[in-house]
Amino acid sequence: MELDALILSRLQFAFTIAFHIIFPSFTIGLASYLAVLEGLWLVTRNEAFKALYLFWVKVFAISFGMGVVSGVVLSYQLGTNWSVFSQVASPVIGPLLAFEVLTAFFLEASFLGVMLFGWKKVGPRLHFAATTLVAIGTLISAFWILSANSWMQHPTGFETLPDGTLRAADWWKVIFSPTFPERFAHMVLAAYLTTALVVGAASAWRILKRGADEAPCLGLRMAIGMFAIAAPLQLVVGDLSGKEVMRVQPAKLAAIEAFWETRTEQPFHIAAWPDRATEGNRFEISVPKLGSLITAGSAAAEVKGLKAFAPQDRPPVFIVFWSFRVMVGLGLLMIALGAWGGWLMWRTRGPEYSRPFLWAAVAMGPAGFVAVIAGWIVAEVGRQPYVIYGVLRTADAVSPVGPGQVSASLLAFMIIYAVVFSVGALYILRLIGEGPETPPEDADEPPGNPLAAGTKGVRA
Amino acid sequence: MRAIIEPPPEAGEPLAPLWKRLAWFGGLSLTGALSCAVIAYALKSLLR
Repeated sequence: MELDALILSRLQFAFTIAFHIIFPSFTIGLASYLAVLEGLWLVTRNEAFKALYLFWVKVFAISFGMGVVSGVVLSYQLGTNWSVFSQVASPVIGPLLAFEVLTAFFLEASFLGVMLFGWKKVGPRLHFAATTLVAIGTLISAFWILSANSWMQHPTGFETLPDGTLRAADWWKVIFSPTFPERFAHMVLAAYLTTALVVGAASAWRILKRGADEAPCLGLRMAIGMFAIAAPLQLVVGDLSGKEVMRVQPAKLAAIEAFWETRTEQPFHIAAWPDRATEGNRFEISVPKLGSLITAGSAAAEVKGLKAFAPQDRPPVFIVFWSFRVMVGLGLLMIALGAWGGWLMWRTRGPEYSRPFLWAAVAMGPAGFVAVIAGWIVAEVGRQPYVIYGVLRTADAVSPVGPGQVSASLLAFMIIYAVVFSVGALYILRLIGEGPETPPEDADEPPGNPLAAGTKGVRA
Repeated sequence: MRAIIEPPPEAGEPLAPLWKRLAWFGGLSLTGALSCAVIAYALKSLLR
């Protein structure tokens, strides 16, 4: 494979966005979790809720900052590496991203200060309002980003001007393109699951290391409640999203399922080795007829295969096929973990007394991040060879720059990210490793200083 | 060391008058929004 400016720019965007998506997928869920914790503390005055809030707000503050920094890089890349895309699509995409900044980012930035620095100054109720507004801000942010991306997956409500640029003809259709509702719900649920898995892992780790305090037990039970409800719901929403993919991006669906022939009674490939050169699967472990049943709702339904599309219009099959299986496999493990935890809560003394479950919860801590990245690989690589599906090819959207320039900036990104984000991620991991702790009744030392928490971690 | 992230008032600790709390709420949120605007315009100026 020749490393030209196109492939290097794609690698660069994939690298930087894969780092970036880790943080918003965590902070969207964490902001809502913090609002719930604070609300429950206001109602019940249970100190364990306050302890959990003060623990997770430190992690939120750092993750939020890293999410913002890593997100700014992406905006610049649209200009530096994808200038043709920007030129063609900015009249449509630009306002969506601007709305995100104006409605979501400013909301978050405004009330994050109150949330972090103003609890005593504004009092509990106004502080709760600030936490809730920050949580709403993260959801509005997801709304606009998913709106922009859904439009790129299935563009509607636009017209092409004589000079080739695009213009919105119907903003309603641009913002609410047909795949948007399912994709937005899928992403928000993914964020909630990611957060619940991290909260569950941190709580389980704390219980394993230092015993079952009230705060980590409460955190663990809340996390189990979330993935017991959200993980099965995610399966349903994911299926609805898949049905939309079949309708508007049949080539992507064919790649997801490694279907080559158009036929009824498509098999479901549990595992396969798709090969573009031979236009088939080198080996496959399949369940007959199940593919048509899952994707189209009936074994007798005809589902298009990749051969129905010209070779130059097919997405890369191998990476899409396996990324999808990683995402779904982890999703099934999340459902199993939720069911196991729910059973332990219902039928035994509690999940905090089951060491196998606690270790399983710790092991599943990163699963949400992996599933989110795998899901986005399916969405973005599956849209290839288009950047705006059916309208603008990725090869035509790249900036007129040389491979030397792109590889130099890619190398710089890799070095800077390796240093900055490794330090940040290690710091967050160290904070999480401490685990939430119920403060003793007579504690008069104010908690909540991230620097102090970090040095405490070093001393420990 | 003084906590950077402010914890809630202790139980029984008297709250400041409402006007003062609202002033802090407005002041802090305005500072946040203005900080965001300053950084946004600074980044935008790099594009010129």
